[in-house]
Amino acid sequence: MLALIARRVASLVPILFIVSTVVFLLIELVPGDAATTVAGGADATPERIAEVRKHLGLDRPLLERYVDWLGDAVQLDFGTSLLNPDGPTIVEELEVRIPITFSIAIAGLFLSVLVGVPLGMLSGLRPGAAIDRASVTATSLGLAIPSFVVGLFLITTFALDRDWFPARGYTEFGEDPWEWLRSITLPAIAIGLFAAAAVARQVRAAIIDALQSNYVRTALSVGTSTHKTVAKYALKNAAIPAVTVLGLQLSGLLGGVVIIEQIFSIPGMGTYMLRALSAPDVPVVQAVVFTFVVINVLINLVVDISYGYLNPRVRVS
Amino acid sequence: MSDISGTRFPDDVPRDPMLVEDAGLAYDEAIVATRTPSPYRRALQRLRRDKPAVAALAFLVLLMLAAVFAPLVVPHRPDDIGIAEPFSTSSFQTPFGADNLGRDVFSRIIYGARVSLSSGFEIVFLALLAAVPIGLLAGFRGGRTDNLLMRLMDALASFPPLVLALAVVAFLGPGLQNAVLAIAIVVIPGFARLIRAQTLAVRQETFIEASRAMGTKPGRIRRKRILPNVASPLIVAVSLAMGAALLAEAGLSMLGYGVSPSKPSWGSMIQAGRGHIYEHPWQVFVPSLALVFTILAFNILGDGVRDALGLGLPKGNQKIKGRLGLTTVTRPEGQPEPSPATEDALLRVSDLSVEFLTDAGPATVVDKVSFEVAPGEMLGIVGESGSGKTVTSLAVMRLVPSPPGRIVSGSVMFEDQDLLTLSLGEMRKVRGDEIAMVFQDPMTSLNPVFTVGTQLVDTIRLHRKMSKREARTRAVELLEMVDIPDPQARLKDYPHQLSGGMRQRVLLALALSCEPRLLIADEPTTALDVTVQAQILDLLRSLQSKLDMAVILVTHDLGVIADFCSRVVVMYAGQVVEEGSVEDLFAHPQHPYTEGLLAATPQVAEHDERLTSIPGVVPDPIAMPTGCRFHPRCPYAIPECASSPVELRPAREQRRARCIRVDDLSLQGAR
Repeated sequence: MLALIARRVASLVPILFIVSTVVFLLIELVPGDAATTVAGGADATPERIAEVRKHLGLDRPLLERYVDWLGDAVQLDFGTSLLNPDGPTIVEELEVRIPITFSIAIAGLFLSVLVGVPLGMLSGLRPGAAIDRASVTATSLGLAIPSFVVGLFLITTFALDRDWFPARGYTEFGEDPWEWLRSITLPAIAIGLFAAAAVARQVRAAIIDALQSNYVRTALSVGTSTHKTVAKYALKNAAIPAVTVLGLQLSGLLGGVVIIEQIFSIPGMGTYMLRALSAPDVPVVQAVVFTFVVINVLINLVVDISYGYLNPRVRVS
Repeated sequence: MSDISGTRFPDDVPRDPMLVEDAGLAYDEAIVATRTPSPYRRALQRLRRDKPAVAALAFLVLLMLAAVFAPLVVPHRPDDIGIAEPFSTSSFQTPFGADNLGRDVFSRIIYGARVSLSSGFEIVFLALLAAVPIGLLAGFRGGRTDNLLMRLMDALASFPPLVLALAVVAFLGPGLQNAVLAIAIVVIPGFARLIRAQTLAVRQETFIEASRAMGTKPGRIRRKRILPNVASPLIVAVSLAMGAALLAEAGLSMLGYGVSPSKPSWGSMIQAGRGHIYEHPWQVFVPSLALVFTILAFNILGDGVRDALGLGLPKGNQKIKGRLGLTTVTRPEGQPEPSPATEDALLRVSDLSVEFLTDAGPATVVDKVSFEVAPGEMLGIVGESGSGKTVTSLAVMRLVPSPPGRIVSGSVMFEDQDLLTLSLGEMRKVRGDEIAMVFQDPMTSLNPVFTVGTQLVDTIRLHRKMSKREARTRAVELLEMVDIPDPQARLKDYPHQLSGGMRQRVLLALALSCEPRLLIADEPTTALDVTVQAQILDLLRSLQSKLDMAVILVTHDLGVIADFCSRVVVMYAGQVVEEGSVEDLFAHPQHPYTEGLLAATPQVAEHDERLTSIPGVVPDPIAMPTGCRFHPRCPYAIPECASSPVELRPAREQRRARCIRVDDLSLQGAR
């Protein structure tokens, strides 16, 4: 098991190397002279352009900049914002905002498991039955409704028409746990709906697959009860693909939070990034993208390892 | 492949006749025997029956036409202001109402469809442009190329789509083209992985190897042979990706980074309506609905195509009610009361029929099968794949899954109990304790995620009241009994750590854990090496005499029957065609099918004799030949053979045979 973890961690190195290169090279996409464009185009004063050029290090050769950037990124140092160089460093900003974005994504994942797993199990146990057909229809809808549409209608229904939840903003957990829960509930539902549908579909497929397997037939042939066959023998096998999809969903949820934060005016990573887009505030955008990617890579690592835990075949090979 | 899946295609017929023709292999006879419509035409027929998919397709076609011919369809230009009062509701002039500037919402929705659909198509097209060569190359080359390309895909896939799209748009400048490019990049890995996996699978098929051996150039193999096979799952993936692409485009436009806000697009309309959502929810509702319906249509179409191509999960069949672990029995009323098994019989199967519901209608896979097993006897059931022998043995245990299968007639008397009348709870007491079963595929018949010890202990404790510790001791005894060395250590092993032969021994130990009186062994050695086969069969024989149990040995190998069994039942196309003692039946076969099987068996035929095969294949249960089911393949067939069904009739010395020419044929036996 330790060998598996070591191998997986080692395999992250090339991936992280590629993504950090891509993130670094994003600035090369800026058409024309990057410093001029970022400083505000033709209207910018030469002083401002020079300042930007220095801040971004554009006065130095590409390779040197790259090595510096990589070295800093490894030490989690992304420097300061271009628009507000004297304000908090980017890392300080991220430290505040990552927990906010995570609160919503994790709550969304929690909801999706709470709804998706039982729904998928119910319909996978009786494919073709009324409850299965209803759940397949419901999940089709769930996969088709964009989270921001759900969010907008949740706000009108539960925040404006009825004052059950706040329509906007975020309360720190440390400040008031109850208000925190209220402030993340609607956003979590809005992004969790799609994930719940995806999880339900995957669990359904996994259960159907497991129940048609030869080992389930063996279990039944020696007189095992259907209850135990499902709850013990089929479920542990079905959990393997289900865990993978949960990891995928968490990645998707984190990415989706960007939009939902806008709808609910929540000061998370997405808001930070969107605010930085217009200039663009290059170091901030790079840092946010890089953070998202690193989080995704780590989620995949956890999924891989839990996969090994659930599936003995992976552990040894 | 078990006989159950063989209901559609007999094992030895290549699944896809098209592929075989394509490879230029001589499977002509097989193709003639099962000449079926092309797989794509068949899929199209199935798709046509899928009402939601047809509706989705119709909706999408209409929407596309409306988008293409938007200027002709819409009543107003999309940016003409003051068509109606701002926020006015539906009217003849403005069927979906008007927006904040009095523009016609309907016209804007149609024009928005242009943006949404075209960017969706562009995204998928661009992604495919990159993914197809990457996937083909990685899958076909393998090795280092594969490794490198897949690492690259892993890296790309770890960018959250929307975040990367936003970053690209921020640096490249806003605009739909840039957004489309950004989203396409993130879609590439999914497609590339799919194509690679498919290429890998197809590459290992025999016809590709044949093609390679004949010296076809790799590029040509990729284009002509692999790509068509990759196409099916790709069509599905494209349809589903369209939905995702629409979603991403709308999201970007809604944030103001896709389409410029002045242009009508569904995303930008939602964005514009947001400000008025409380007073005029309609403004958000209409474009949202357009988006939801379109995504839904693409998803439903994708699911429909997947089902039609047979790539999805089998659909549950509502026509047969059933529960997990017990075959449904629907016997016609007024069936004669089954007489209990006679004194010298442990099991008596009479008139047993099993039916499967397939796409093409019900198929009787087992047709009025009868046989008996005496205590301590070793009975052989022999036949080709698709003869119904596996389904027969599963039906005795009520293990044929319902749906799609069910037992439609007959009785299965075990001593004085008709197993077909038992409830699941009652049947569970029989299974494992009285009758046990060993299956043909030891690789998949053990649960991969539990240790051998857990599986044995669980099974022992099902029928015997024992503590876990006692059960473990018993498990070690059982493993010793099936000649597994170092049984104590093996308990901690997972199935994948054991060889095929060892796994079959474990399965045997599992089946024998409660010393059943009848063991059904369904092709227990088919999946094993020849030397291991002999060991397992020897073990089976010694255990049979040691435990004094009856055994039904199901096999396609008459040689095995000759070595182990005293009596044999020959099955063909779901029917018993001949029965008798092994000695007598081998010496004097009374059915041409038996003669054919004997001539095809190396251990039985003379050494200097040429082995022959029976031409043709087992018929499809949906289209059984009229009259004698064997007559199309029978060298002795006369016109009468095709006229009416042939009964199984008693012959001399407790023999039975299903042939109208039984008296005037003198068939060649084994010498």
